[in-house]
Amino acid sequence: MTVALGVAGTAAVIVGLQPSAGPPQPPVSASASTPSPTSALTSGRARDAVGLSAKFLSRSRPVAIAIASIGVDAKTLVTLGKQADGSLQVPTDFGKAGWYTDGPAPGQFGPAVIVGHVDSANGPGIFYKLGALRPGATVNVRRADGSTARFSVDMVARYPKDRFPTNTVYGDTTQRAELRLITCGGGFDRKTGHYLDNVVAFAHLL
Amino acid sequence: MRRSMRLAPLVLALPLALPFIGVGTAYADGSASANLTPVVVNGSTGSGTAMVTVTGNTIEFTLAASGLAAGPHAAHIHFGASARHECPALSDEKDSDGRLSTTEGAPAYGAVVVSLTKTGDTSPTSGLAVDRFGSGPSIQYMRGGVTVAPEIATAIQKGQAVVVVHGVSYTGARAQAKSDLNPALPASATDPAICGVLSASPSGGAATGAGGTAPTQNEGLLALGGVGLLAAAGTGAFAARRARS
Repeated sequence: MTVALGVAGTAAVIVGLQPSAGPPQPPVSASASTPSPTSALTSGRARDAVGLSAKFLSRSRPVAIAIASIGVDAKTLVTLGKQADGSLQVPTDFGKAGWYTDGPAPGQFGPAVIVGHVDSANGPGIFYKLGALRPGATVNVRRADGSTARFSVDMVARYPKDRFPTNTVYGDTTQRAELRLITCGGGFDRKTGHYLDNVVAFAHLL
Repeated sequence: MRRSMRLAPLVLALPLALPFIGVGTAYADGSASANLTPVVVNGSTGSGTAMVTVTGNTIEFTLAASGLAAGPHAAHIHFGASARHECPALSDEKDSDGRLSTTEGAPAYGAVVVSLTKTGDTSPTSGLAVDRFGSGPSIQYMRGGVTVAPEIATAIQKGQAVVVVHGVSYTGARAQAKSDLNPALPASATDPAICGVLSASPSGGAATGAGGTAPTQNEGLLALGGVGLLAAAGTGAFAARRARS
């Protein structure tokens, strides 16, 4: 009787402490921001230019995004800008992905940005499984001109929003055509109604 | 069968955030990027990206564009305090000669303030130094350590600076026109091809979740479990006392 109560009690406590299933989270949690290549030297003499050799496509707006490994297959993307406070706008529809139109279009040189919700108040959003994306996975973005930009995932990281590495995500750090997929992650603060972290997948054009 | 029950300490596995790894490098004051798209009237089919990182009065820029005409492509950052801080509009084409010259675009984007050359001087005096710019249908290069005036560093971060890449291909009457900047050159060499306003990068993260799937702790199960353990302890202790007595 004692043992049964003890075992059942322990089991209930352990189960009670297990989190119920939430959005998958990436294993990597990084918070260092990549510094720009800008030198701290102020010699006043510009360094000679470095020629680049990246593959990149013309500017054409994205019309569909497919990430087979995590079951994302969206046939439209909304357009996004910046909010008044300078942060990224987000889609009003939890089921739609959006792209940042002041940045490069997916396929162009530089970091193109596509954003989607991890969940709504009621259930999963379009990027619910983004945290399960793994390096080597393919992201296909079809463009209005009929071409498809194919990207390969390099890294999926999770950053605290209050220490967000702006330069790593939005800056010119890699000198090639790249893509950032952004959603929320980490703990959810029920008082503020916001997740504490962002999950960011980094990919490059194949 | 009597068995004493030991309550093992319960260890919660909390997600641990990795410690912040500070890097001892000066971070940029800000970064901005421009989408380069065809200037009205002149018929370029090119496109590209210009990215500028500002640290104090020093900038680093990256310029990448494709679909341009053959030949050299002078490229500059333009700014004018009283300019419109945008790429030219159709109404800027004033003399009905079927082309929008660099001068006609000035009310939109202002004067040259930085020449995005590959080597040497980067001031406006290098504006037409075609041998020090990129050439051909596709150009891509990056350059750092370029000094700019403080008001230019500010303008870049405030979305008031404009990147213009020049050099188009004309046929017919336009092919005979001379450059408004240097009559020894054809207009096609200096007319603006693609243009974009430098816009500050977003700051911070994105609010992309409402918590509908957020992990929860089941308070009911915790309470039941706690009661069960207390009851086990109680009966165990009672049994132990009974055994001794």
